[in-house]
Amino acid sequence: MSSNLPLEVVDLTKKYGSFKAVDAVSFHINPGEIFGLLGPNGAGKTSIISTIVTLEEPTEGEVKVFGNNVRKSKHSKYELGFVPQEIINHGFFSVEEILQFHSGYYGVKNNQERIEYLLDKLGLFEHKDKKVKQLSGGMKRRLLIAKALVHKPKLLLLDEPTAGVDIELRESLWSFVSELRKEEGLSILLTTHYLEEAEQLCDRIGFLSRGRLIKTGPTKELIEGQTNRFMSIVLKPGTSVECSHDFFIEKKADVLTFKLPYQYPVGELLACTSLKLEQIQDIKIREGSLDDVFRQVVGGGVL
Amino acid sequence: MNAELRFRPFFSLTRREIKRFLKVIVQTIVAPLINSSLYLLIFGVSLGRNIDLQSGQNYLVFLLPGLIMMGCLNNSFANTSSSIVGSKFAGELEDYKVVTLNPWQILLALSTGGVMRGLMVGFLTLLVGEGFIYYEVGHFVMPENPLILLYFLFVGGLCFASLGVSVAFWAKNFDQMSAVGSFVILPLIYLGGVFYSIDTLPPFWRSVSEFNPILYFINGVRYGFIGESDVPILTATILSVVMLSIFFSISFFVLKKSNFKRW
Ligand SMILES: Nc1ncnc2c1ncn2[C@@H]1O[C@H](COP(=O)(O)OP(=O)(O)OP(=O)(O)O)[C@@H](O)[C@H]1O
Ligand SMILES: [Mg+2]
Repeated sequence: MSSNLPLEVVDLTKKYGSFKAVDAVSFHINPGEIFGLLGPNGAGKTSIISTIVTLEEPTEGEVKVFGNNVRKSKHSKYELGFVPQEIINHGFFSVEEILQFHSGYYGVKNNQERIEYLLDKLGLFEHKDKKVKQLSGGMKRRLLIAKALVHKPKLLLLDEPTAGVDIELRESLWSFVSELRKEEGLSILLTTHYLEEAEQLCDRIGFLSRGRLIKTGPTKELIEGQTNRFMSIVLKPGTSVECSHDFFIEKKADVLTFKLPYQYPVGELLACTSLKLEQIQDIKIREGSLDDVFRQVVGGGVL
Repeated sequence: MNAELRFRPFFSLTRREIKRFLKVIVQTIVAPLINSSLYLLIFGVSLGRNIDLQSGQNYLVFLLPGLIMMGCLNNSFANTSSSIVGSKFAGELEDYKVVTLNPWQILLALSTGGVMRGLMVGFLTLLVGEGFIYYEVGHFVMPENPLILLYFLFVGGLCFASLGVSVAFWAKNFDQMSAVGSFVILPLIYLGGVFYSIDTLPPFWRSVSEFNPILYFINGVRYGFIGESDVPILTATILSVVMLSIFFSISFFVLKKSNFKRW
């Protein structure tokens, strides 16, 4: 019993011909966690996910789902739900039929209740008799999500699930996902190009660049470790103060700017500066975002 | 693993396959039926009046079982191959790999779907053919050995359905797919004795024909229908089992090696 982690990727390398799309990548997902795999186009995110769902064979290394090697044990398939990046068409079949067949493929019978629950939660109920080509782009993506959930998986792989989904639905999608997380103990691997979304949702993040996992860590720690927190004090017009403090950077017109550590109490700084409260017009604090981290770590790569 | 988990995936995919061709019944059943009706009309009724068979059999009666089998084989092959090629285009084939279907379940389910369409076309051709026969001969011709007829239709259909599976999984593009259809399947069927008895061929071509596996299927069906065959029925039966195992082994192998990628 080495572990029962939902996902363990160990030294995974994937070559297409001589091109290394994934280069010795290792990471894991803890139970109940949302792990974000971020990186520019072509970084290798989809290639990693494809090896997890056995669409691709790893060139080297292995992938384990709840302790089972995905290539040796069929069991992992029951625990995996997969939302591919690319839309899947289903020809002549309706949304409801597609979900019924898909349940059947997992050996689930009489799944109507679950199917209707998913249709309802994903806002597809009124579209259940439509064919895929009659759905809008966002609806197609939600159908993919419904398909991935018919068999109550324990690990959900989401490859850009919100591309082309409008804000409102994105939010309802994520609140649905957190509901599933609570009720069904779902763990999630997510790739997305919406960094704000990743910052809000992901417990941990891995940054991928040219096939290599260059940084991994809890989202908050990454942001705090890689970015700075700036505080600007806007003075009332006509106030003249001199300021010298370790955290002080510059004074421009009436604005004093400080760069302070994330844990440092703002009040303490104010006390040190000998500024009087009545001299202060406004205080602005700008914290770093995942965006900043991404730019730093991946190095200006285009998202 | 309980029975539910073992059989439900298979039944689900089989149902999907059958529903798929029923949704486009005009293309999948009606069109092939019109096709065989035209053959019946042109060769059976029109030209057939001038053809005297050695056996003294009416040519239309001789032709019908050949056409029934041709329809069955063609459509079993067409069903699996077009279903798979369609799924490759749609990306749906990736689903088969991701879900808990195993290669045997996929192969058997797709083949069952294919043979169902083959049998439907075969059976409807039989009905239409009987109409022509009644009109030409004045009475219906009952199959001599209905069980043998059904056996060869079923096994032949299964073979071609599974052949469709392997060709469609193997094909890298649409051209390869249609090349197999027009350069291999079609000639083999036409030269397999649908329209003539190989006894009428010169000895050399007769011997060549004996290497055509389809000859045995067609003559099996003909034996079931009129009790006559160019080849010993026992040989045909044994060969049908051998071919079934070969076709299924190849398909299984191709499926196992295949990457299910979209085109
Ligand atoms: N089947 C393939 N054959 C050859 N090269 C491939 C194949 N699939 C992917 N690649 C290459 O591997 C690299 C990684 O691709 P991948 O799809 O994993 O990137 P990604 O991180 O998912 O990108 P995106 O954000 O655009 O989805 C790319 O350079 C791509 O061109
Ligand atoms: Mg991708």
